[in-house]
Amino acid sequence: MLNLQNVTKKFTGDLFTQDFVAVNDLSFNLKTESVTGFLGANGAGKTTTLKMIMDFIRPSSGDIVFDSILGTNQMEIFRNIGFLPERPYFYPNLTGREFCHYLGKVSGMNTGEIKRNIDKWAPIFKIEFALDRTIKNYSKGMLQRVGFLVTLLHDPKLIILDEPLSGLDPIGRKELKSVIKDINNEGKTVFFSSHIVSDVEEVCSDVIFIKNGSLFYEGSVDKIIRENSKNDFTITAFDSNDLKHIFEVNLNEKDKKISSLMNEGFSIYSIEEEKPTLEEIVYEVKSK
Amino acid sequence: MKLNLNNTFTIAKYTAKEILKSKILISTLIIGLALFVLTFVAYSFSYGDPARIAIDFGLGMLSLSSVGIATFIGVSLLFDEIEQRTIYQIISRPVGRNTFLLGKTFGLISVLVINILILSFVSVALYLFLDGEMNNLIVWSIIFTVVEAIMVLVIVSFFSLLTSKVLSVLLTISLYIVGHAIGGVKLLTFVKDRPFLEYIIDGYQFLLPGFYKLNIKDFVLYKKSLPTEYLFSSLSYGILYSLGVVCLSIFIFNKKDLN
Ligand SMILES: Nc1ncnc2c1ncn2[C@@H]1O[C@H](COP(=O)(O)OP(=O)(O)OP(=O)(O)O)[C@@H](O)[C@H]1O
Ligand SMILES: [Mg+2]
Repeated sequence: MLNLQNVTKKFTGDLFTQDFVAVNDLSFNLKTESVTGFLGANGAGKTTTLKMIMDFIRPSSGDIVFDSILGTNQMEIFRNIGFLPERPYFYPNLTGREFCHYLGKVSGMNTGEIKRNIDKWAPIFKIEFALDRTIKNYSKGMLQRVGFLVTLLHDPKLIILDEPLSGLDPIGRKELKSVIKDINNEGKTVFFSSHIVSDVEEVCSDVIFIKNGSLFYEGSVDKIIRENSKNDFTITAFDSNDLKHIFEVNLNEKDKKISSLMNEGFSIYSIEEEKPTLEEIVYEVKSK
Repeated sequence: MKLNLNNTFTIAKYTAKEILKSKILISTLIIGLALFVLTFVAYSFSYGDPARIAIDFGLGMLSLSSVGIATFIGVSLLFDEIEQRTIYQIISRPVGRNTFLLGKTFGLISVLVINILILSFVSVALYLFLDGEMNNLIVWSIIFTVVEAIMVLVIVSFFSLLTSKVLSVLLTISLYIVGHAIGGVKLLTFVKDRPFLEYIIDGYQFLLPGFYKLNIKDFVLYKKSLPTEYLFSSLSYGILYSLGVVCLSIFIFNKKDLN
């Protein structure tokens, strides 16, 4: 869907500041029809990378290549991308509805299509009630919701979101996460940055993890968890007096332990693999 | 240069809508009212021909306030879009930067024209009320005010791509003052006697805006007529100069990192 090839972004300093390499030789491939999380600590270079993908800023070197399903020239490609910036800000004196029409029009939609899609998405993001108010009176969460609405309005194939869950209350986060899963089931590719690892683990099939502007990990969420699990199992069993016992064994000893327990008259209650959460893995990496 | 006229129009339309819904129109009405009152005061304190004073004062204030409004909205044209990141919403769509810049510029120009028309209406109404006679040059003077304001608008937004808001405004005001004074300077015998000074001034005129070409207030006042060629050449000068500045802005805007 999207391929970054050795992308570097160097911010050239002036008299008082030094040059700063925000993204360093970053290559990755965004899988079509995946939900991919873009992880990294504050200042890791996530927003800078997304800005380069959207052509707001230009890489110092390297290439960004879009899949031809999106189109062959930049206008076609951008017609098929929905982008939600970090902390989105809108024209304060327009109403939400006017803003939707504005963005729909420049995305090449006609008024009928725009109305239909507003009617489709506004209830899902629970923002219909506010669409006729001017945006300057919106709360932070309402801004984020209108942001989602306009991001999906033109039915894009690739959806790029920069910190989409920040500014939402827990219910809003849950709702948004389920929308992300739904649109992915409709065949859309979603790429979103976040520092909240548990959110990424919950909705993403894949993850791209950067550290200080360089790629740290790229691949499926399951795989990173498998690779970082220590193959430890917890066996819970009850003895003849109905007392509960918990045994920790690794993969190699697991079967032997189970059969010896059974020989000793234990009743096996459960065998669980001890999986680290993505969060634990990420924090471990960060502190390294 | 790729351009999408539909999108240019849409951007212009919503830019105008956004500004008209903000408080700027109200401030124009207040300026209009102040213009009215000041003209009246000037009129009651002077002896000359009241209608002439009204039009003198009216056109002068009209030009100043139009330039003021143009500077004020022009400096925010691109600067605020970039600063507040609203621009991301638009250029993440199938909208090229050229289209964006032109759409914004046309949107602001339409707001500017509406404002100038309101203010002109006040000045001319007062003039006619004081038994002034309508005159072609008054209409030309208003057209030139519009062109002058457009020049100021594109110049200040050009500077705002390169430097801070305050500096952009200061540079524009300096150019405005010099651009008006330079016409008179050229006529000074001191300059006429020194060819190299004339070269410098010609060089200046080649690059920097000659606002004096659009100032025909003296002719309006003293009822002198002006040759049509002069009027049209000044008009085309203003329009071409503005187009040139817009092209330069597009060139820089295309290269700029929108951080
Ligand atoms: N215009 C700029 N000039 C200089 N440095 C910049 C510029 N923009 C970003 N940076 C630096 O680049 C680094 C990466 O910033 P970026 O915004 O991409 O981080 P991020 O991963 O999005 O962080 P966060 O999670 O806080 O949003 C930061 O150290 C930041 O200070
Ligand atoms: Mg960021």
